[in-house]
Amino acid sequence: MKKKWVLFLTLVITLFTGATMMGTTAHAASDNSLAQVQKKGTLIMGTSPDYPPYEFQATVHGKTKVVGMDVAVGEKIAKDLGVKLEVKSMSFDSLLVALQTGKVDMVISGMNPTPARKKNVDFTHTYYQGGYSIVINKADKGIYKNKDSFKGKTIGAQTGSTMYNESKKQTTNTTVKGMTSVSDLILGLQSHKLQGVAMEKPSAEAYVSNNKELASVPSDFDLSASDTSASVAFKKGSTSLVNAANKSVDQIKKQNLVNKEYLPAAGKYLKTNTVNTSMLHYWKAFLKGVEYTLIITVCSVFFGFILGVLLALARMAQGGPLMTGLRWLATAYVEFIRGTPMMVQVMFVYFGLGLVVNLPALMSGIIAISLNSGAYVAEYIRGGINSVDKGQTEAARSLGMSRGYTMRYVVLPQALKNIWPSLGNEFITLIKDSSIVSIIGVSELIFQSNIVRSDTYRGVAPIAVIMVLYFILTFTASRILNFFERRMQHD
Amino acid sequence: MTKPIIEVKNLAKNFGDNVVLKDITEQVNPGQVIVVIGPSGGGKSTFLRCLNLLETPTSGEVDFNGENLTTLDPKRVNELREQMGMVFQNFNLFPNMTVLENIKLAPMKVKAVDDAAATQRAHELLKQVNLDDHADAFPGSLSGGQAQRVAIARALAMDPKVMLFDEPTSALDPEMVGEVLNVMKELANQGMTMVVVTHEMGFAKSVADRVWFMADGFIQENNTPESFFSDPQTERAQDFLSKILM
Repeated sequence: MKKKWVLFLTLVITLFTGATMMGTTAHAASDNSLAQVQKKGTLIMGTSPDYPPYEFQATVHGKTKVVGMDVAVGEKIAKDLGVKLEVKSMSFDSLLVALQTGKVDMVISGMNPTPARKKNVDFTHTYYQGGYSIVINKADKGIYKNKDSFKGKTIGAQTGSTMYNESKKQTTNTTVKGMTSVSDLILGLQSHKLQGVAMEKPSAEAYVSNNKELASVPSDFDLSASDTSASVAFKKGSTSLVNAANKSVDQIKKQNLVNKEYLPAAGKYLKTNTVNTSMLHYWKAFLKGVEYTLIITVCSVFFGFILGVLLALARMAQGGPLMTGLRWLATAYVEFIRGTPMMVQVMFVYFGLGLVVNLPALMSGIIAISLNSGAYVAEYIRGGINSVDKGQTEAARSLGMSRGYTMRYVVLPQALKNIWPSLGNEFITLIKDSSIVSIIGVSELIFQSNIVRSDTYRGVAPIAVIMVLYFILTFTASRILNFFERRMQHD
Repeated sequence: MTKPIIEVKNLAKNFGDNVVLKDITEQVNPGQVIVVIGPSGGGKSTFLRCLNLLETPTSGEVDFNGENLTTLDPKRVNELREQMGMVFQNFNLFPNMTVLENIKLAPMKVKAVDDAAATQRAHELLKQVNLDDHADAFPGSLSGGQAQRVAIARALAMDPKVMLFDEPTSALDPEMVGEVLNVMKELANQGMTMVVVTHEMGFAKSVADRVWFMADGFIQENNTPESFFSDPQTERAQDFLSKILM
């Protein structure tokens, strides 16, 4: 028992020290940042596109794309550097991690250059000075005047944002609830789970002008300039890139480009956006979600199954020290994977592994879910193999079949039949669990529904749609699995 | 003098502290039918399973055609196992395959026989055991007697030089014992070398060339069936026969 512990701990510690060391080396070797971007020819901007008019999704010529004043800022910077801009969407929480791990080159997401953030990343000069408002239901106008009117009530703010921290600090007897996306917060407001939502002024105005049920009041937060300003974030130590970007930012400030050009342009998208908010109008977005959900599930089931078979065989390996080592390793892997949340694994693969090789989000998602599923499938298969009568192996061996052939042609097919219902269950679970990869910005169903929600300002309808879509997927899958199960019955 | 096909030298087998076989030295000549009889728990099955190394002997050696199985690498052991067909008490047919597929599997995978040839050979063997009309049935639908005959056909498909039978009729309903024994008799008549562990004394009397009486981990007596059944030499055998013949 004690031995098992030591082994396990060693494994974990190696994993972590490995990751941290990679982190530091990546840091130290930095300041050819500008040259690197120019060599690459693209500047990747990370943003959380649910914050109009800063950044949001809009349908342009039938295609969904990220637009808003921050995107315009990003385009200006890229253009001045002579490179192409590429926009990557992800949740606000993940943005700085993505920056530190090199998934994106810069973050423009209405981000305030707070002292805490400055410790981890470098900021440009501010390109926009905003302020905070609190969005409320129009019916409550008159009840809530500013931040002090919410005693005994709940206000919401985007998790990880400055508003969230300030709301906590500067209110008394008020519950502050954090959610990842602003569209969720608005939904919470409309369903009266929240009485107000703190957000930046331009965003608040965008929401209010697009939704007749809402109104906004000033927040009256006591704020320093840095709390209400927005800056572009770069990786720590990339001074050359920051300096180059500062030239663009200074021009934007000097010519007042944000107010003169960027905000009106963003407003236009908001207008066209709200013309048709029926779910049918967004069938393409949902279809894409279904497509990605299926890609992730099918690939993960395939690789997870192969991994599961290998792990199961490794767990049953017998013989010399090599085999014992293999068995320990497989056992440790299965225990570790089953003992940690899949969400953490997905983030670890995307951000952690990203330090070594830069994997696209979709591939990271598939890898993480395959790795996870493999551990569970391994246990099913091990049980399945043990459930096959020993006489089957003996019969096959007595016919001259090798250990491998016996496993492949005699034991595994029977094991598979025995565990088919459990495997089917795992498959259906995966269809649903694949939603976790939405946090790293893979456009599967959940992610797409969030886009539709922030696009249409409708909270419930997209959720209802994907609920039905998920059910159609899982129900079809279980019918297909039953068909094969019946075909395997021989007695 | 013919060279023995199987030679057992000082074979012993323990399962932990439990000593099952103690120092057995015997040999089987080509074409011989050996029937191993004796009380339950005497080590008969373990002995038989040591012959094709389904059990690894604790000490001693098992020579097949002059090659000592216990010192060979696993690959060569697999090759030699092909030449020793084995029939089990519980048939051990592959339930997920048809009768025909059961028979074809090993020739096709191990010997790389092509499908047409394997199918043809399987049908021949099924005719030999009177089951050709069941070629496409699954094992689950067969009676015990039928299943055991398929198992014999499956073992024969590898063209073995020796057939090992581990209580082939013990799990059968009494009325099915005859059909299996008849197939075995025919096989013996064709000159197959056979080692049969059984409780069928009639079969031993009429088919065996030698009877090995085994008890307490020893071959207590190695005799012709005639003299073994009429005039057993050891007290242990006399005692055993008095009990079963009544």
